[in-house]
Amino acid sequence: MSGNPLEEVVSGSISRRLKIVIALALLLAGSPIILTYGLLILSSFSTNMVTDPLLTDFQPTLDNWIMFLRGQITYATGGLERNVVEMTLVTLTVAVGVALTATLVSLLAAYSISRMEFKGRGVFTAGLIMLHAFPGVALIIGVYMIFRIIGDVLGVLGEEFYAIAYIILARAALEVPMAIWLFKGFFDKIPWELEWSALVDGASRVRVWWSILVPLVKPGIAAVLIFTFLAGWEEFIYFYVFLKPFGIDSLPTFIEEIVAAAENYQLTIIAAAGTFYLLPTIVFFVLTQRLLLEAYSGGLKG
Amino acid sequence: MGFQTNRTTIYIAAAVILIAIIAAALYIATRQAPETVETETETAAETTPATKTEAQMVELKPLTGNVREDIVNIARYLSANGVTEAKYRVHGSGDPNSIMRVYGIVEAAARLNKILEEEGVNFKIVIEDIKFSANADEPAKVFQQSFPLKQEADIIAVSYRWISTFAKEGYLLDITDYANAYMGSELEDYYDSLWSSVTYKGRIYALPQDTEARPLYILKPVMECLGYDAWDIAAKIDSGEYTWKDVMRIAKEAVDKGCSEWGVIHRKGSAHPDLVQFYYAFGGEFTGSDPDKLYLNLEALYKWLAVEYALARNGLTPENMLEWDWAKQIHPTIVSAKTAFDIGGTWYWTEWQTKKYYTDPQTGEQRGLTPEEVKERFAYSLFPAGEPGKSPVTLSQPFVWMISANAGKLNPKYDDLKEAYHRIAFLLILKANDPDLVAIHSIVSAHIPIREKAALLMDDQEFVGKLAQGNLDMFVSDEAREAFVEIAKKTAHPINIEFLKNVTYMLEYTHIPPLHPSYQPLAEFFKDAVDFVLKGQMTPEEATNYVVQKIRADPELAETIEIVGSIPSGWQISP
Repeated sequence: MSGNPLEEVVSGSISRRLKIVIALALLLAGSPIILTYGLLILSSFSTNMVTDPLLTDFQPTLDNWIMFLRGQITYATGGLERNVVEMTLVTLTVAVGVALTATLVSLLAAYSISRMEFKGRGVFTAGLIMLHAFPGVALIIGVYMIFRIIGDVLGVLGEEFYAIAYIILARAALEVPMAIWLFKGFFDKIPWELEWSALVDGASRVRVWWSILVPLVKPGIAAVLIFTFLAGWEEFIYFYVFLKPFGIDSLPTFIEEIVAAAENYQLTIIAAAGTFYLLPTIVFFVLTQRLLLEAYSGGLKG
Repeated sequence: MGFQTNRTTIYIAAAVILIAIIAAALYIATRQAPETVETETETAAETTPATKTEAQMVELKPLTGNVREDIVNIARYLSANGVTEAKYRVHGSGDPNSIMRVYGIVEAAARLNKILEEEGVNFKIVIEDIKFSANADEPAKVFQQSFPLKQEADIIAVSYRWISTFAKEGYLLDITDYANAYMGSELEDYYDSLWSSVTYKGRIYALPQDTEARPLYILKPVMECLGYDAWDIAAKIDSGEYTWKDVMRIAKEAVDKGCSEWGVIHRKGSAHPDLVQFYYAFGGEFTGSDPDKLYLNLEALYKWLAVEYALARNGLTPENMLEWDWAKQIHPTIVSAKTAFDIGGTWYWTEWQTKKYYTDPQTGEQRGLTPEEVKERFAYSLFPAGEPGKSPVTLSQPFVWMISANAGKLNPKYDDLKEAYHRIAFLLILKANDPDLVAIHSIVSAHIPIREKAALLMDDQEFVGKLAQGNLDMFVSDEAREAFVEIAKKTAHPINIEFLKNVTYMLEYTHIPPLHPSYQPLAEFFKDAVDFVLKGQMTPEEATNYVVQKIRADPELAETIEIVGSIPSGWQISP
């Protein structure tokens, strides 16, 4: 027993009673968030918005979900429906694109930083953290200018696929610094000897990376894939700036639009839209919370 | 445990990636086959080779003011140049009943196509990618972003106030010459007051689409409690006999005698531009000898703020009025007759029916009022004159049809033929304002028609009867007709139509806030000043000086806003 409560919690040596007290305290602290999301989800299955924690307003129905999935956001749109399937596909495409791009790039970069000596490595590594500090919105003017310049040079400025590809690359670029740091942590923990033996046997650096190191950091890859997928899924500003001009909506820009004009919409259908948008985040977090917390608190064993 | 979790996670990640790749493939497939709204029979866009002789034989003549002649000439000209189809995109916005802001163009295309079919011209107009947003400013924001990428909609329906911004940037088609050709025909019966809303620096950049007025609602139950006839008060306000002093007097009487909780309820902070009616009611104007400048009349501003100050100090208007909530405070207070007067808008009339603001005292149920209940409960008048000798007023902020400077860019040989494509876009917005379409839009969305012929149609019992039954045989486009059937059945109530007819006269008294880039910041200063005087944080004089200081602190505003007049000494108003 160290006597430090935090260490006791971590080491699991605390008493059952203390665990219950801590759990209740955390539940109490988290209750506003739990309550808010709970009411949102319940409202999506109710004819009225559920704002009373005692659920006196709750009247069950599936109509909100049916209407939302059909793209009907009010009861009188004269047949003008929004394509929710398209929005979901766009959002999913970008999220997966960001996840794959950021994971691949950072996996290669982290290997180089971890294993190779080159000029400026220290500065570069330190600079990565600084890059991570920049939110997407702070860079938006520069990112937009690059979008215009590249689009003009390639003659694809008015093409939708270019906008989507650009969003994937730009958003992935914001995720790469953190992902490199995570992967570097994983690579640093893998003994040199494993790599040496393969190199001595005549394997190339790329082969060593692919056949030996990458399999050892699979948990890290999974963690980064999930982080970056959620980052792409939750992206708003780049969708708004680069894709909205094409008249293409993603789930976040669509939800922003309907929330801004909530007085014209059926609020319970907006609740269904919000719940739908939250689903991947909730599902991923519930299934992988242990992995994510471990990855953030210093890397996993391979 | 760790290994199990890790392996599960990898499986999940792999599954997601697989699903997403399929999703991406599906998405790309769907984008490659965009849905196209055909106005008549569906055919692929095509150009056919044309001989030089054919093209030379048909020339693009100046617009005549006759739609049939003009569309036939344009279509023959394009056809002779090898183009047999022209595509346009439209983006409209507003409340769910305002879908004419896109279907108007779909129907217009169908009507023009019908003419071409009758004339045997091998040409068709296709409206594709129609988009409707509930957020009123959405089309304008998207237009602003997409114009530089040449992805903007060809026609958008948005508030008139975007005109100055877009015209200044060169984003809008100047339709002055086209409109002038039709001033003696199709545009002849448009209400004169609306032309200023589409004119920027002497040029016309849009056509009005609809408008509204902002009446003073007078609560009949409260007036009955006081022993007054609400319609008599309305008539006296309209004639200028009753001014704001009289309204305040009656409001105070209602509160003092317990007939109502409040005297005057008005718009909240997010709708603050509507309060500028006070400024106009005291004779204020924003225009003057220099068309590039905005003029601020200090006397009118001071008197406006003095009224607000007096209303709050006498307990007639809540001190935090600008922070009230529409659904929980403002509308429930009005529909429950807890105020003697309300400064609102014409659209309130149907909003009180479609939204559950009213709590039934018998059952405790929250519900909308019936049309009959609304009629029993409210009288209405113009916004009262500020003081004797001044006129009552109202305020309009019209929706308009704007055309992109690149309209028709999706079509073949655009650089050579763009004048013809631009003219078609103009004829589309012109036909979208056909009297029957304007009348239908006004009835189903509770807006005021922008032209006299539409107002007359609202008097036509046969027309209105057909609409109420969902008989829309006036539509050429099946798609547009189907879109309106249910909405028309629900909204074409005789009481609502009577209301719209009754308030149309208000357009003769309307003021339209100026299309000047400095107006929006100035309106924000007004809002702050109103908030300060309502809360008693500033006297009217201090708040007036606050506005002046804010203008002088900004070099651009100081340059573009001319302050005229002065704070009147010794002028006061009280109930």
